[in-house]
Amino acid sequence: MSKHDAPTDDSPTAEPTPDTTGKTGAISLDNLNKTYDPEGEHVVAVEDMDLDVAAEEFVALLGPSGCGKSTVLECIAGYLEPTEGEVVVDGTPVTNPDPKRGVVFQENRLFPWKTIKENVEFGPRMHEGVEEGRAESILDEMGLDGFEDAYPSELSGGMQQRAELARLLANDPAIMLMDEPFSALDALTKEIMQKKLLEVWERDNRTVLFITHDVEEAILLADRVAIMTARPGQIKDVIDVDIDRPRDPEVVTTDRFTELRERALSVIREEAERALEQEDGA
Amino acid sequence: MESRRRLVRLGSILAVPVLWFVASRFGLIAGLPTPVEVADAYVAELYRDDFWISTIRSTIRVLASFVVAAAVAVPLGLLIGRYTIFADLTFPALEMLRPIPPIAWIPFTILVLPAAELSIMFITFLGAFFPILLNTIQGARGVEVEYPRAAQSLGANSYQTFRHVIFPGALPAIHAGMIVGMGLAWVNLIAAEMVAGGTGLGFLTWSAYTSGSYPTIIVGVITIGLLGAISSALVRLLGDWQIGWTEPRPN
Amino acid sequence: MSTTTIERIQRRFEGGTVPILTKRVRQLLSIVLFLGLWSALVRFGVLGFDTFVGPETTLAALLEALSGTAMTEGGETIYEHAAFSAFRVLVAVTIAVLVAIPLGLTIGTSRRWEDALFPALEVFRPVPPVAWVPIALLLLPTFRSGVIFVVFVGAFFPILVNTIEGVKTVEAEYVQAAASLGAGSRDIFRHVIVPATLPSIITGVSLGVGLAWITVVAAEMIAGGVGIGYIIFQAYRLLQTEVIAVGMIAIGFLGYISAAAVHRTGHYLTRWQETN
Repeated sequence: MSKHDAPTDDSPTAEPTPDTTGKTGAISLDNLNKTYDPEGEHVVAVEDMDLDVAAEEFVALLGPSGCGKSTVLECIAGYLEPTEGEVVVDGTPVTNPDPKRGVVFQENRLFPWKTIKENVEFGPRMHEGVEEGRAESILDEMGLDGFEDAYPSELSGGMQQRAELARLLANDPAIMLMDEPFSALDALTKEIMQKKLLEVWERDNRTVLFITHDVEEAILLADRVAIMTARPGQIKDVIDVDIDRPRDPEVVTTDRFTELRERALSVIREEAERALEQEDGA
Repeated sequence: MESRRRLVRLGSILAVPVLWFVASRFGLIAGLPTPVEVADAYVAELYRDDFWISTIRSTIRVLASFVVAAAVAVPLGLLIGRYTIFADLTFPALEMLRPIPPIAWIPFTILVLPAAELSIMFITFLGAFFPILLNTIQGARGVEVEYPRAAQSLGANSYQTFRHVIFPGALPAIHAGMIVGMGLAWVNLIAAEMVAGGTGLGFLTWSAYTSGSYPTIIVGVITIGLLGAISSALVRLLGDWQIGWTEPRPN
Repeated sequence: MSTTTIERIQRRFEGGTVPILTKRVRQLLSIVLFLGLWSALVRFGVLGFDTFVGPETTLAALLEALSGTAMTEGGETIYEHAAFSAFRVLVAVTIAVLVAIPLGLTIGTSRRWEDALFPALEVFRPVPPVAWVPIALLLLPTFRSGVIFVVFVGAFFPILVNTIEGVKTVEAEYVQAAASLGAGSRDIFRHVIVPATLPSIITGVSLGVGLAWITVVAAEMIAGGVGIGYIIFQAYRLLQTEVIAVGMIAIGFLGYISAAAVHRTGHYLTRWQETN
């Protein structure tokens, strides 16, 4: 496994302003390391990773496949314990999953044995108590009016993703961790979902960490785009997306967008080649 | 299914008593009672209290033992399936006992347990226990890791995760295990009744043999088969009714 | 302990970073605890355990039997009895395999044969194999053939049912692909359907062997003669409790190695399969 160069320091990696406003949902990755030892191998998934996400910020995490982005999300979510270093949220280190850090998975994970409504009410039912009518209004907002009593298997892929988003929102998390949630959707549905996500985010002011391998999606949605290297994963570059909000899908044709996209792609190309080499060599 | 196929299938079923009649009438199989003899014996049996008592006895034994087996095997299987330490501490011992056919336990249970009734029910219990346990373990392990994680990220604690995620997720496999378990419960019940004696359909059938009333043997066998089929069908239907949801459609 | 603490301990264990209690040690502990529990139950006479034997006596009796001491008046050793039982299982399962697999393949591939044969077979399936013992003794000429017949019935249905299901779940696309490559129906049968059904057949044979052992022990206990089942029952009558335990261990062992043998063979025959 070839070890790559340390991330360059001369590219403008915009740092978020320190948070003194009492907002919640700030994530801080401090020297995050995660290694696995499956069956005699020694895999370094994430190495010496530092990243700061300010409260209410939308950060996209971009990188080639296998680079460890999902591992990072799993550490932030609290499913995995870092081998070294820590994840700090609002000043407290992360040790366990928590409803304040909501998660949307790559593959749809609505509980197949519960109706849509039961899925959406699941979080509140587990710790606070269900508010009458809340599930219905969230589902309505997601365009799933009338499907409350359906089972997930009866819905299309796009509808399932919307329902999973509804389930997440019903729990009112300060942080939304999303692992390539739209990658399996067709282009049209994807566009609708992206729009919806931005709508919801702008209204509710949550922190979002959005993992994707789609460069355009990352730039379209995020305030900042953090680009990861191939395994062992580190942050190679952070691009500040200074395009005004609200952003229409048409924004992808603007010059500024194209500039940023080219910049991101050039960084990624290098790393993607490196990742391919790893797979061949390994 | 078109009516023609239905007719053929019906014909297949009817072929059984017809062939039986032919074989017994023309002495093709020595000693085989004719269907008529068996029918007569059946009617006679229906009037005998002992027949009904035996039937009810056997049925209750199976149901009770099965329910206990499920009540023990399902929680145990879920725990073994999800918690490795627990599995390591309990499973090896269970695996050592599993290959021993339940009937081989009969002398052991007769010596150790206070009543013969308990022996028979224990054997039946063993028959259902292991299939349900194994299938439950497989079912619990088969629940993809993202489901409990999703539950935890929504705020569920361990118990809630178990109850709302692991258990429903494992239900299809548990159901399959119960169908097999019910079948094996019957198998072992009849064997236990034949060996340990006393009452029950198995004993009734065996004593028909030893006392030489051969048509009654077949009466017993038919009754056992019927009850076995009904109980397995009930378990299957119950499961299908409860587990109405199907696997999520792939995107 | 709070649930989060338990979960943290859990995760530490899952990660395999616990120093003393490694997986192997825990598994060994399981067996040790089991033996200890057994010993204690006998010593303290819980329920009727004081009429039974403990692990130590059992081990002694087992060693004695393995050394070739006669177990019955006929002078047969445990090996001979084991051989009798195993022979019956082997013969019965072989016949069951030779009958059930072709039958299952036929029923699974041809709707006409399914309609003609399957309902009739289904009539007999719910009858527990053991229930056939009196009938078999009545109708079949020799005692030995009666036992083998019953064991055959025990093994037959799992193999049949699993073979049929295996054929039915062969994905249509494989058959279509073969047809588009120019294969005739006989070729398709031989090169596509049979190999694709093999995993299900192996499962069926595995279940069949298990059921065969259950049936042979039951038959031997009921009908007597020779075999491990007979030993166990006779030991019960003569109150040789340590022999009962030895018999149970013997049959457990035999069942285990036959299941393992089937699995080994199965793995070899289906080595093209993905492992989970």
